[in-house]
Amino acid sequence: MQRREFFKTLGTAAAVVAVTTPTMSFASAPVSANKLSYEDALHAITGGKTPKESSVVKLKVPEIAENGAVVPVTVEVDSPMTDADYVKSIHIIAGKNGNARCIDVHLTPANGKAMFATRVKLGGTQKIAAVVALSNGEFFIASQSVKVTIGGCG
Amino acid sequence: MAKRKSLIKIKPKKYKDGEVVKVSFMVMHPMDTGLSKDKKTKQIIPAKYINNVKFTYNGKLITTMNVWETLSVNPVFTTYMKINGAGNLVVTYTDNTGESHEKTMKIKPKG
Repeated sequence: MQRREFFKTLGTAAAVVAVTTPTMSFASAPVSANKLSYEDALHAITGGKTPKESSVVKLKVPEIAENGAVVPVTVEVDSPMTDADYVKSIHIIAGKNGNARCIDVHLTPANGKAMFATRVKLGGTQKIAAVVALSNGEFFIASQSVKVTIGGCG
Repeated sequence: MAKRKSLIKIKPKKYKDGEVVKVSFMVMHPMDTGLSKDKKTKQIIPAKYINNVKFTYNGKLITTMNVWETLSVNPVFTTYMKINGAGNLVVTYTDNTGESHEKTMKIKPKG
């Protein structure tokens, strides 16, 4: 009888250990301080308006990026850039990154040409979008998916 | 505070008054996301990334950028700018730990 009870207590102890260890390992995983999803980032930029798909915005991203740590992104907008009609800002959003918002660029007519280029980190295969705000309050969007072979976040 | 190397490039190198030129600003910055671990010490590297970049030309603000940690290590910012007389182009940035840096370039249009 004593032997049987000993095995019972041993079994319950093992079960408790099995349940508690995975939850502990989840708690230690780091999370981005300013975590933001694609939809939330888009809402923060446009303020609830739905941006139009347009050929005015030209987004240049490689279709296959071998290294996710350095992905060149170029956004160009057809605009006269005069005081009456110019591009107010260009935003780049990466769909599946921990923080989807990459950069906001606020332009003025003194720029002469509405273009912005930079390099971003991508965690995996995902969609990149460029949102453009014009001076008359309109929003345009262009997007493209990028295949990433090796992720570059963290 | 670490001293950072930075560079302003203008293309084409020779430009006239009123011309629209390409300006790129490069800076050596780690852009840590706060997610990765140091391989030796097994400690999480704290987040350190550029927050804000400003392009000022002759005291007039041309371009401002709000930046998050998603940009690459040693980031490059490229835009266009209209040359409007001789003067200084000043690019400043601040990061989330309060570090700031300034780089000046003299603009000398020819012809």
